[in-house]
Amino acid sequence: MARVKRGVTAHAKHKKVLKAAKGFYGRRKNTIRIAKQAVERSLQYAYRDRKNRKRNFRALWIQRLNAAAHEHGLTYGRLIDGLNKAGITIDRKVLSDMAIHEPQAFAAVVAQAKAGLEYLKDTTPGAFEKAVAA
Amino acid sequence: MKTFSQKPADVVKKWVLIDAEGLVVGRLASVVANRLRGKHKPSFTPHVDDGDNVVVINADKVVFTGKKHSDKVYYWHTGHPGGIKERTARQLLEGRFPERVVEKAVERMIPRGPLGRRQMKNLRVYAGAEHPHTAQQPESLDVAALNGKNKRA
Repeated sequence: MARVKRGVTAHAKHKKVLKAAKGFYGRRKNTIRIAKQAVERSLQYAYRDRKNRKRNFRALWIQRLNAAAHEHGLTYGRLIDGLNKAGITIDRKVLSDMAIHEPQAFAAVVAQAKAGLEYLKDTTPGAFEKAVAA
Repeated sequence: MKTFSQKPADVVKKWVLIDAEGLVVGRLASVVANRLRGKHKPSFTPHVDDGDNVVVINADKVVFTGKKHSDKVYYWHTGHPGGIKERTARQLLEGRFPERVVEKAVERMIPRGPLGRRQMKNLRVYAGAEHPHTAQQPESLDVAALNGKNKRA
């Protein structure tokens, strides 16, 4: 039986690592010892950031919705409260997209949210007027 | 569906004119900073300069609440040993460049970085009632009307 030497597998492994290290800075992209460490760490970041991405996008939708809500005299919090009270279950992603591309449809949704906020009339006097101030 | 991302080429920058007379500095600065960053737009994109151009006039007539007019101190360091310098808000407002009070307040509300520095260039502050941007036809924004606390007599 033929003798197994290790050069071939080692080279294949190194090739795989160096391929993943393309575009890295300095020796991280062409020295196997350092590239290996950098690639391992990069995979950890990638794993973490696949989860963080979901949070980051939700935060961005909320910031956009807050801006859109202010154009209609509401705050983000009041908008969401009104939507919940009105039984509207459009998520933040679609709502923020509507606010950009379908301003009229978004205005209609906001009108429903404002109607949903009418419960404030039964609480503190003036709270409803303050919440939907245009 | 992909979340919308504003492209730098598609940005439409408006011009906004604010009369700062009698306005509270920090409250004015927060409105201006939001405008500069574009956070008032539903298309806000954090990595793109999506804000408006803001022109502030009468910046020497801003007001501070409490004792800040006489007590608020601005520090900077010249880089030399013992080179820390200071001026009070009053000294700045009565000095040669009273508009620096508003500029500094806004600058400190904008994230520091390449984008922040670019957005600061979209801010023009003038001490008097005159401004050279009439050609841009800035739309005036009444900051005092946004909130009752924005203006002090």
